[in-house]
Amino acid sequence: MDNKNIENIIKLSDDLRWNIGNDFHDSLAEGIYADASSIVEETVSTGSQKSRATLDAKIDRIVTSRTWGFPIMFLLLALVLWLTIIGANYPSSFLSWLFLDTMHPALKTLATGINMPWWLNGFLIDGVYLAVAWVIAVMLPPMAIFFPLFTLMEDFGYLPRVAFNLDYLFKKSGAHGKQALTMSMGFGCNAAGVVATRIIDSPRERLVAIITNNFSLCNGRWPTQILIATIFVGAVVPQYLAGFASLAAVIGIALLGIFFMFFTSWALSKTVLKGEVSTFNLELPPYRPPRFWKTIYTSLIDRTLIVLWRAVVFAAPAGAVIWLISNIQIGGESIAAIMINSFDGFGWLIGLNGVILLAYIVAIPANEIVIPTILMLTVLVTGTSGGAGAGVMFEADSALATGEILKAGGWTLLTAINLMLFSLLHNPCSTTIYTIYKETKSVKWTTVATVLPIIMGLVITFLVAQIWRLF
Amino acid sequence: MEQYPPLLALSLFFAVSAVLFFLFRPEKGFYWLARKNINSRKKVIIEDVLKFLYHGEATNNSINIKDLTRSLNFREQQIFESIRQMTEHGLIHLEGENIKLTAEGNEYALQIVRAHRLWEHFLAEKTGFDKSQWHTKAEMMEHQLSRDETDKLAASLGHPLFDPHGDPIPTKTGQLATQKGKALSQLEPGTVGRIVHIEDEPEVIYRQILAENIHIGSQIKVIENTASRLVFHAEGESFVLAPIVAANLSVAVLEQDETPEEGVTRLSALKENETAQIVQISKEIRGERRRRLLDLGFVKGAKVQVDLPNPLGEPKAFRIKGTSIALRDNQSSKILIKKID
Amino acid sequence: METKVGSACETCTVFNAKGLKKLGVNTDNFDFVVALAGNPNTGKSTVFNALTGLKQHTGNWPGKTVTRAEGAFVYNEQKFKLIDLPGTYSLLSTSEDEEVARNFILFGKPSVTIIVVDASRIERNLNLVLQILEITDRAVLCLNLMDEARRNNIVVDERSLARKLGIPVVATSARFNQGIPELIQTVSELANGKIECKPHRIKNIPPAIEKAVSKLSREIEKVYPGIANSRWIAFRLLEGDEQIKEALRSGEFV
Repeated sequence: MDNKNIENIIKLSDDLRWNIGNDFHDSLAEGIYADASSIVEETVSTGSQKSRATLDAKIDRIVTSRTWGFPIMFLLLALVLWLTIIGANYPSSFLSWLFLDTMHPALKTLATGINMPWWLNGFLIDGVYLAVAWVIAVMLPPMAIFFPLFTLMEDFGYLPRVAFNLDYLFKKSGAHGKQALTMSMGFGCNAAGVVATRIIDSPRERLVAIITNNFSLCNGRWPTQILIATIFVGAVVPQYLAGFASLAAVIGIALLGIFFMFFTSWALSKTVLKGEVSTFNLELPPYRPPRFWKTIYTSLIDRTLIVLWRAVVFAAPAGAVIWLISNIQIGGESIAAIMINSFDGFGWLIGLNGVILLAYIVAIPANEIVIPTILMLTVLVTGTSGGAGAGVMFEADSALATGEILKAGGWTLLTAINLMLFSLLHNPCSTTIYTIYKETKSVKWTTVATVLPIIMGLVITFLVAQIWRLF
Repeated sequence: MEQYPPLLALSLFFAVSAVLFFLFRPEKGFYWLARKNINSRKKVIIEDVLKFLYHGEATNNSINIKDLTRSLNFREQQIFESIRQMTEHGLIHLEGENIKLTAEGNEYALQIVRAHRLWEHFLAEKTGFDKSQWHTKAEMMEHQLSRDETDKLAASLGHPLFDPHGDPIPTKTGQLATQKGKALSQLEPGTVGRIVHIEDEPEVIYRQILAENIHIGSQIKVIENTASRLVFHAEGESFVLAPIVAANLSVAVLEQDETPEEGVTRLSALKENETAQIVQISKEIRGERRRRLLDLGFVKGAKVQVDLPNPLGEPKAFRIKGTSIALRDNQSSKILIKKID
Repeated sequence: METKVGSACETCTVFNAKGLKKLGVNTDNFDFVVALAGNPNTGKSTVFNALTGLKQHTGNWPGKTVTRAEGAFVYNEQKFKLIDLPGTYSLLSTSEDEEVARNFILFGKPSVTIIVVDASRIERNLNLVLQILEITDRAVLCLNLMDEARRNNIVVDERSLARKLGIPVVATSARFNQGIPELIQTVSELANGKIECKPHRIKNIPPAIEKAVSKLSREIEKVYPGIANSRWIAFRLLEGDEQIKEALRSGEFV
């Protein structure tokens, strides 16, 4: 290759750039658009239509109006969440009947039938199988409802309008209006919420959205919140207020999450992220009638199944670990018991206990298995009756029965409140951590996203516990 | 299980938090200050003195040792020591009371100025740092960039001529593009000109200029200039400044053959049911943000309308080239338009 | 996004163009590489799905496809590999998406580039089209969302548009699979050299810049005779694109 000539060309381009000055890019962009409009003038006619389709304009006037814009948004979000929580109940209970109540015993019987050694049987069926089955049963139905609904609104073109309406609030905390959507998506699943941040094309705001997505209570955590609130918060008020009080507590936690999301966004964009490039643009696409079945199909494939698959991959080893630590004995005590004892002091300091901390450590892969793990471990260390054996996660038949087990484990109202707080403020599940890494390709930001919420959670629960004990 | 009394735990916690806060709070934390102090070694002092002398000579002010100790944030002892060393190395010489740069010292100073201004340009074009932070960051960086690194930086930025405040960037060989501007405070009422430079020191005044939303590159017309205030119009808005603030803005008076722009306003002032043509994007929008807007069709001559007002005020959606694009006020105020009927 | 579809593509031959077989993600041993470029939200992914039979999710959102998706189809016993590039407004900026798209068209040397545009917003879309035409001379314009354009009373004179741009223009409504057979036919003809393109060159550039550009591009042509995109390289050099400088040294784009 003619290297000298090439260096000359590069030299020439540097000189020419110096001569034509700083406006080259502007001139080029203007030139291209000038060509474009002259071509369009000669080839496209717009008929009688004035500025845009009138129907679109009418819809826009309503969904972004001062009066109706916000009520419509909140109603739709509430509707989607309600449909998800209510609608998921039936398939969820069917799946848990199938996988947990029917298949699990059947597998156990089969294993005994073929004389499988107890440890292999326990490891595979009580550990790996149970964790995977549990995650699928709890996770699949809400995701299969939530994401298609969301995708329908997205395909219709409504979601960009939500970003448009809310951008001002997000701008105040240094974020992008589209974060409203990735946040809402996080109510379904944080991993999916993190993937959804691709719609934010400004590097800084996208990182903010990724790091703060974990503050949206995901559907693995809603059931925990509801269960604990029903057992403990509902119990301290008169009977007729119980339902209302526990609902208020759950919503309060979700709102607290939104508050932390805004606060953290603000703090991040003012500190570690302030040097990242920030641009803003938001296109409001025309409305398009979604193609219902196709949307349902693709959102199942693209969002639900991919996320579910990742969760399963991570849940299997977690199940194995849970079973192993409960069954391997060192000096007459299971590893789980030893760990719980050593965590108890620290757990007490932040108003929790060793069982909860251990459960959160081993159940990193999925928030869905936190409560079953807590129950199993509580039974294991307190030696109360119930449960299904060491290392076998289970759920009690009713909230009342769950409450009995937990109270036997020394739980108080403070433990319950702090568990709800800690469930909101702890590291993202490993599926989400992995997704964050895939999206950011940065160990640094993945670490920040993982460590930040847990620090906040420890501080908050600590403060609540100590102040609680003052009175 | 009462293991720790809550009061003790809480006070311990707050004590630790307080220590961490004072150590690491942004800018003023002791940790950062200490780090900065370690950095202010001899090299930094020498370079800061050189730069100070350079700026003094550029504005024809003579500078003596007292000026240095008064203006620079170092201990007197340190400054005396550095002056001794600089004289030894032939960077400066004394003319009576006054300290002058030698040719060698001048070249060194230019190199520092070059690094500083290039870094500001880099921050403006390639990062998201706010413009109130550029100067401080560049003050640190100018001492760390070697000559080679500075040249590489210049090449990667396309050898820019001016920094984002409008100051010329010295070339490798020490040449400076000329910037013909007069202090705004000296202009007669009725003068039409273009803002070519916004001084970023002292910071107090620079912050006031930033708060006014005055943009570099915008055409202005002086309306009133008295001892107490200066009023000018630009981009369809009216600005009132104290003379001391106005003195930090340089304006190039319009040449005879240039025609003043009439009826130019900011896109943020466009109302519903009005149509306008885009005149240009202000020089205040730089780097990736500028490219994005150009790509979206905010180019000279494009027709633009308000498409949708926002329930919270901003961002407003504008219809441009057949698409509805929402812009925040800090963007739309930097796009200049001319209304058409 | 990973497209995890295995068996769905065998069963989903929505239309039966003679000799057409959709291959989903099986992209081995292809005869031609086809790039799919276009603005965000022009139904680019829908076109991709219609061509390959894949079911990648296509949201009504600007900028859905961030990573590159690949698919394939067979037409008249020739195998075409299709690369779905990220949707971008332009190829001149420094964002990651644009770099991926720009590099693929320049360095990936696709046999044909399909440029998908929204028929109801042609002017905005032409910004990208005109840039692509500076890089490659084998492209076809896919005038998508024709249904929407018709609803908005927008009439496009496809013939004179094709003449102006110097490339074939095919009108489609990919959502309803209209025009896709014609698109495949055109792609095949382009790939086999049966259609000659005379792509449009950007004209409205200030004289001083035009002079610099032609001076540079003449020099480039001296070193690399007969390359089609010397002007584009000149643009990039004037923007100070370090990557292009490197490529120029290595001759990677020839």
